[in-house]
Amino acid sequence: MSVLLHRMIDGAAQRRPEAPAVRCDGAELTYGQLARRVNGLARVLLGTGLERRDRVAVLLRKGLDVPVGFHGALASGAALVPIDPRSPAEQVVRILRATGARHLVSEPAKRDLVRQALAECPEVSQVIGLEPEDGLPVRCVPWSTVAAEAADQPPAVGTIDLDPAYILHTSGSTGTPKLILHSHRSAMAFVDWAVSEYRLASDDRLSNHSSHHTCFATFDYYAAARVGAATVVLTPAALMMPGSLSALLERERVSIWYSVPTALVHLSLRGEIEERDLSSIRWVLFAGETFPEKHLRRIMRQLPQARFSHVYGSTEVNVCTCHHLPDADGLGDPLPIGRACSTSRTLVVDDQLRPVADGETGELLVCGSTVMSGYWGDPEANRHALVRRPSAGGFEDVYFRTGDQVRVLEDGNLTFVARADFQVKVRGHRVELEEVEAALLSLESVEEAAVFAVEDGEGSSALRAAVVAGGEPATAEILAGLKQRLPPYSVPAEIDILGSLPRTPTGKVDRDALRAHLAKPGDCDGP
Amino acid sequence: MAPDDGSRPACREIEERLLEFIRLELLSPGVTVDRQDDLLSGELLDSVAVLRLAAFVGEEFAFEIRPADFVIENFQNVAVITDYVHRATRGSG
Repeated sequence: MSVLLHRMIDGAAQRRPEAPAVRCDGAELTYGQLARRVNGLARVLLGTGLERRDRVAVLLRKGLDVPVGFHGALASGAALVPIDPRSPAEQVVRILRATGARHLVSEPAKRDLVRQALAECPEVSQVIGLEPEDGLPVRCVPWSTVAAEAADQPPAVGTIDLDPAYILHTSGSTGTPKLILHSHRSAMAFVDWAVSEYRLASDDRLSNHSSHHTCFATFDYYAAARVGAATVVLTPAALMMPGSLSALLERERVSIWYSVPTALVHLSLRGEIEERDLSSIRWVLFAGETFPEKHLRRIMRQLPQARFSHVYGSTEVNVCTCHHLPDADGLGDPLPIGRACSTSRTLVVDDQLRPVADGETGELLVCGSTVMSGYWGDPEANRHALVRRPSAGGFEDVYFRTGDQVRVLEDGNLTFVARADFQVKVRGHRVELEEVEAALLSLESVEEAAVFAVEDGEGSSALRAAVVAGGEPATAEILAGLKQRLPPYSVPAEIDILGSLPRTPTGKVDRDALRAHLAKPGDCDGP
Repeated sequence: MAPDDGSRPACREIEERLLEFIRLELLSPGVTVDRQDDLLSGELLDSVAVLRLAAFVGEEFAFEIRPADFVIENFQNVAVITDYVHRATRGSG
């Protein structure tokens, strides 16, 4: 029998109501407490006109309310739309409009952001988590009302596993975010794979490193709930201070870590790991970027008891390949992304979607139970990204085009070669260079813009932009404009003002020439 | 808060230099910061900005930040950074 995401909370609460479900900054919710609050939120939502398959947006900072918002939205029969709490108002507006969310779950600390967003989103009719006295132009229901509605039993809403579960957002090339829809079935397929692969159990403690609007959090929150384990939320303060982070990991006895490599590099270099007892960490999973070998070797030696896994997969597919690393002396160069998970079938194809021979580079296609339902409200993107291939019996399999260039190694492992387009990863966040360029070009003073990724010296990437400006704007002005339009990780670390941009014969910006030009010191007047 | 000696800056001066750097280099125009504002909440500064702030602290006040000092207690707000700089530079001048 298939399980729905939110029903995992009820199951865990019935088995071990006193077990910790989520811990943050010394505070805790047990599964019993979480289940009651989740049911309370679902009842509030249902009592105010929410209909099955509506969307409920959740705009919360990291904390104990996050799983209440997540599971409460799902328990009401809605699809959850988690929004990056650091998003500027414009991005919040884009997501609310694109998903058609009429209900928003938030908190007093986000009041001003909510107020700005609602001014542009008249379709939002209710905000949970703010007070009626806050003076917003919609119905507001405070968290105290949710607490008063707490109940042991979830409402009956008739959700089935093929129904939408959540819509995650990444950046989009036109300034419109890509909205990735997963059903309960595709999410649970990933959860069950992860539970089996990493032998998760009720005594595990999974760290939550990433923001909860990312696919990393799917593992941190839902896989933990599947086995009644605890999710330990790592606060922004702890993540910014490696010494505090390692102390927190020791104190909380974290057993499973999942993040981008950058976070582990910081922890390894500045976390005083040798001074801590981190023997509870039994498995380290990393994904999203290349892990610099010297850093990987060091942290593997710092945590000798832990197993390490390189997992691969975009938000659209959850995880589709994984590679369990041998010891620190036996790492491959480059590090493989591994073999297809038991939930997935992979295929490497040329630009005509024909399979290539082993050893040849091609685009990776993925078919399997963890693949998304599709991009929300974007049939054209779905036609491009989800391709059908004939299968036995006259049926067809649906494959997701990852856009990643890979090849099959002699030992059967896949290795990542490059992205096929202009998506890059900045500290684990997927950023489309064209989106950043679009934001630059939306500034009145910018005439031309090109953005590319450079190494940040910490094992990740940073963005660098070159612009051709009309007038004489200061880079500070341009940066200020970008910060109003983009999330922090999409804002370039450096901006160069040039006389012109190098172009290829077809007229496209020649990023390689630009990168080479900017590498020359002392020349900012244009090529 | 008077200077303890002639070579290292007084607490007030440290605080002012920190606030000026944060305002001019790390925040968007018009955003204000106070000595007690939480710099590590993720709301005011992102992780890159915090790294830049730490680099500034080491360079501006001419001492090396030990890995063990990268803790919340030393960087939560301008007031505690000031105390940390004052302690770290004691006897170095």
